[in-house]
Amino acid sequence: MEAVLFYLFGALLLGGAIAAMTSRSAVAAVVWLIFAFVNAAGIYALLAAPVLAILQILIYAGAIMVLFLFVVMMLQGPTLKSELKSIGDRKWWLPVGAVLVALLNWMHGVSLEGFTNDAPAGFGEIKGVAELLLNKYMITFEMISLVLLVAIIGAVALASNKKGMPW
Amino acid sequence: MVIGLNHYLILAAALFLTGAAGVLARRNTLIMLMGVEIMLCSVNIVFAAYSRALGDMSGHVFVIMNFAIAAAEAAIGLAILVAIYRIKRSVNADELNSLKE
Repeated sequence: MEAVLFYLFGALLLGGAIAAMTSRSAVAAVVWLIFAFVNAAGIYALLAAPVLAILQILIYAGAIMVLFLFVVMMLQGPTLKSELKSIGDRKWWLPVGAVLVALLNWMHGVSLEGFTNDAPAGFGEIKGVAELLLNKYMITFEMISLVLLVAIIGAVALASNKKGMPW
Repeated sequence: MVIGLNHYLILAAALFLTGAAGVLARRNTLIMLMGVEIMLCSVNIVFAAYSRALGDMSGHVFVIMNFAIAAAEAAIGLAILVAIYRIKRSVNADELNSLKE
């Protein structure tokens, strides 16, 4: 059962990502990516992390991709002309192919056994995450809020000026 | 058939390669930013998989941090794109070559 779900979610996640990266229209790419990220939430649920699954749908598939959709709708116009025909004559496949060869080399002798331990009791529940987040990783938590504050100020400063850049 | 850590690692690696190929191959900067999002998502899966394998929930905290980083990256990146579009009337990476000359 777990294997069936893993291969189902994994195939849909990977297929959605590939479809997003190869689609001609940016709107279609956003929709494919929302589809892929919903399936990533399924992968998190299989990894005994229900909090992450819910956050993935709320933040990634909900907030971030809707932000993308707004900007795509705003900028989409004559921006995609003759883009895909130039993909073939670029050297992008060199680094990607090198990593792929390294990955296949690693997979050659890798063991595909299951997890050796069961998840501990209460693993992945919101209580445990919150305790870690507010005790051991409190500095990280504060840094997250600082990053978000900087992002808010930066986004407003960059996008609000009608004449272009703020400087 | 049982699913283990390496299954998730291989899935994450394939996902990361998809995003990296998209960033390197596409010229539409909007889609390049989506490739970065895919790469961040694959790193999150690695965090969660190792968390599950080691029975330690610290990885979940860093996945949540990564969510915030991804949101900040999307907000700043898209704001920069809007600012660039106001100047150049284009989001094609090939036409953003003002610093080349």
